Amino acid sequence: MSTSPEQPFRIFVPDAELELLRLKLASTCFPDELEEAGWEYGAPLANVRRLVARWRDWFDWRKAEEAINADLLQFTKDVEVERFGVLNVHYVHRRSVRENAVPLLFVHGWPGNFLEVRKVLPLLTASERDQPCFHVVALSLPGFGFSEAPGRKGFAHKQYAELANRLMVSLGYEAYVVQGGDWGHYIAGSLATYYAHTNVKAWLSNYPTALPPQVSTTPWKWLKNLLKPYTREERERLEAMREFQTKGTGYFHEQATKPQTLGYSLADSPVGLLAWIYEKLVSWTDGYPWQDDEVLEWVSIYWFSRAGPAASIRVYHQMTSGFEGPPAAGVRWMSIPLGFAAFPEEHNRVPRRWLRTLGKVVFESEHSRGGHFAAHECPNELVGDVRRMFGKGGPAFGVVPGKDGYAS
Amino acid sequence: MGSWAKPFTVQVSDADLELLHKKLELATFPDELEGAGWDYGAPLADVKRITEYWRDKFDWRKTEETINQLPQFTTEIEVEGHGSLNIHFVHQKSAAENAIPLLFVHGWPGSFLEVRKLLPILTAASPDQPSFHVVAPSLPGFGFSEAPTKPGFGGYQHAEVLNKLMLSLGYNEYVYQAGDLGHVLGVYVANAYGHKHLKAWHTNMPTYRAPTFWSNPLLILEIFTNKAVSQTLEQASRTWKKGGGYYMVQTTVPQTLAYSFADSPDGLLAWIYEKLARIVDDYHWTEDEVLEWISIYWFSRAGPGANVRIYYELTGGNKHDMFEGTKWTSVPLGTSYFPKEPIRFPKSWACLIGKVVFQAEHDKGGHFAAHEQPEKLAGDLRMMFGKGGPAYGIVPGKDGYA
Repeated sequence: MSTSPEQPFRIFVPDAELELLRLKLASTCFPDELEEAGWEYGAPLANVRRLVARWRDWFDWRKAEEAINADLLQFTKDVEVERFGVLNVHYVHRRSVRENAVPLLFVHGWPGNFLEVRKVLPLLTASERDQPCFHVVALSLPGFGFSEAPGRKGFAHKQYAELANRLMVSLGYEAYVVQGGDWGHYIAGSLATYYAHTNVKAWLSNYPTALPPQVSTTPWKWLKNLLKPYTREERERLEAMREFQTKGTGYFHEQATKPQTLGYSLADSPVGLLAWIYEKLVSWTDGYPWQDDEVLEWVSIYWFSRAGPAASIRVYHQMTSGFEGPPAAGVRWMSIPLGFAAFPEEHNRVPRRWLRTLGKVVFESEHSRGGHFAAHECPNELVGDVRRMFGKGGPAFGVVPGKDGYAS
Repeated sequence: MGSWAKPFTVQVSDADLELLHKKLELATFPDELEGAGWDYGAPLADVKRITEYWRDKFDWRKTEETINQLPQFTTEIEVEGHGSLNIHFVHQKSAAENAIPLLFVHGWPGSFLEVRKLLPILTAASPDQPSFHVVAPSLPGFGFSEAPTKPGFGGYQHAEVLNKLMLSLGYNEYVYQAGDLGHVLGVYVANAYGHKHLKAWHTNMPTYRAPTFWSNPLLILEIFTNKAVSQTLEQASRTWKKGGGYYMVQTTVPQTLAYSFADSPDGLLAWIYEKLARIVDDYHWTEDEVLEWISIYWFSRAGPGANVRIYYELTGGNKHDMFEGTKWTSVPLGTSYFPKEPIRFPKSWACLIGKVVFQAEHDKGGHFAAHEQPEKLAGDLRMMFGKGGPAYGIVPGKDGYA
């Protein structure tokens, strides 16, 4: 048997761990900062000090824990992955009241977590009259949240796909669709690569990034890409991507080459972890008004994660073979419907024709606000895209046989 | 100009020592992938072992005493637009009156301690070898020097500090030796004060901005005709890919990294130890040695988070390379090549830096040449500045001979 029965799960961080965090926070040492540094050099000192003080004196983890457990019914399941043995996977699972709701797997990335599904979950599962609805599974990726981490090297595209697919099939969802951003985008693409048609029927990504057409694989696309000019918007986005590559990818390079080295800091220092993640939460979103407790809840998921905060960043190394190749290299073009939900402040936005190297693009949206964490920042917009892609008249309506998401 | 130098001893407070120990007691380690080795960064077994040694056995007070055997001082140096910085430095004179004044500049993750093994060799007075009066500062933001407080403290600001330091000690004309960031700053010092004050300099990490076809067509063509050159460049590209993560982080978000450095002793240890262990040539660091080195960062005056800012300041936040605003100078330059130096530049490209008058190649040694191979490095300096050498007598009236 490649999976075990579903076990209900409630987050409960042991008191000893809460106490250790408290002790560490109480002895936090802060660096200095240049005058008027703003965000130029990284997360500002005043912000980080404030967050640490709140974490130390005010933030009530037990209350947050209770609320998460109340909002999100969670489970764990052992899932076998070839060469890696059994991994215990933590996930949220909510079925719609409509029997034939479309099964949807929601996949987070880094520095995201399963909580990103919180705002879209009620919208996706709600049985509204003229809207498709969904049964939603939102897993914690191995090494994130309360899922076990792989103990061996080489857990990459194929393994994430195998694990996620086994999970869905074991829950009775032989056929399903996938939604993801960040690593969720690449894992959704990996699911398509390995399980398109048989299990995975379509995917919607909110991370519209891809490699340019390659002469070796798609010579016509490559040629057309060379000859056809880009739109002004596309040129601006390419410029923004170059800027991001230069100024915003230090974390990627380090995590893809030396995740262990960085991991010592993230595992030992709550403020170190907080700053590392908080910097992305703010710089990757479109003016999203993060509440301090929201940030602390998010960071706490990392701090209290089953495998520890250092395990999560290994995904960068594994999915790029230690920075040898781009993560998109593990994704093959498949003919199942592919959609892109595009938000203006997302980084690495590429020309639309590049997106077509990842699959059969049948749906594209363009929003006027929002950034990297679409489900968290713009849940209505993202759900709107899901509904338009999979709803009646949409390009992926009825992709899951017998489950079109409408009342029968 | 600097005021009178005051003697300085390292004196870490009991409170700081206690806080360090409290943190070491609470140290929380990550797990590690099976068989990870060095493929993912500093191995868990190493970091745990050294952290536990730090917690249980490392005697900072004894180490402090040993460090204080080095003659150290501080002095105030004015930097245009940045006010006055209190600069810490080692200063050891040779018994030879007319020893050559030499400024030794560390890099990252180095420190003034890198001069330690060179000192007795370079300052020894002899009728057969040139000797040197040696000055080895802590760069602003490192060791026991104050850090700049305003943005914009770049290469020329560091050069100003270095030059003024030498002038304040009465060394109107001097020579310079460095690797790593010290080499980068040497280029700035040569540009700003070359010939007038800096008479000649030596580097054990001879690099510069790469040539373009337009600037140096022959050097570019050589990439295709000379296997050694193309191999060096390939190696450099691999080193960048696998080892350049720290650079990308430090040039763009040093503040974000600083929180970890300031709060986690073993986090700081791992980040630095990863470099110490890997970019040397068969050099066996003892726990005490590593921890002494890390302690200079942990107990640094500006705190462990300040030093990485130099990467941002030198590159405009990774907008450009570290040599922005400098050019080739005719200040005589000596180069030494150590086989395990990871930051490699084809030898034929050294002429892009300055007027190369001396070149030495060794069969052993890595990035921290002064620490790993002090005799070899000192030997190169003696050859370069000694009688018959290409920079003999470059400092008028101070040929270094007793």
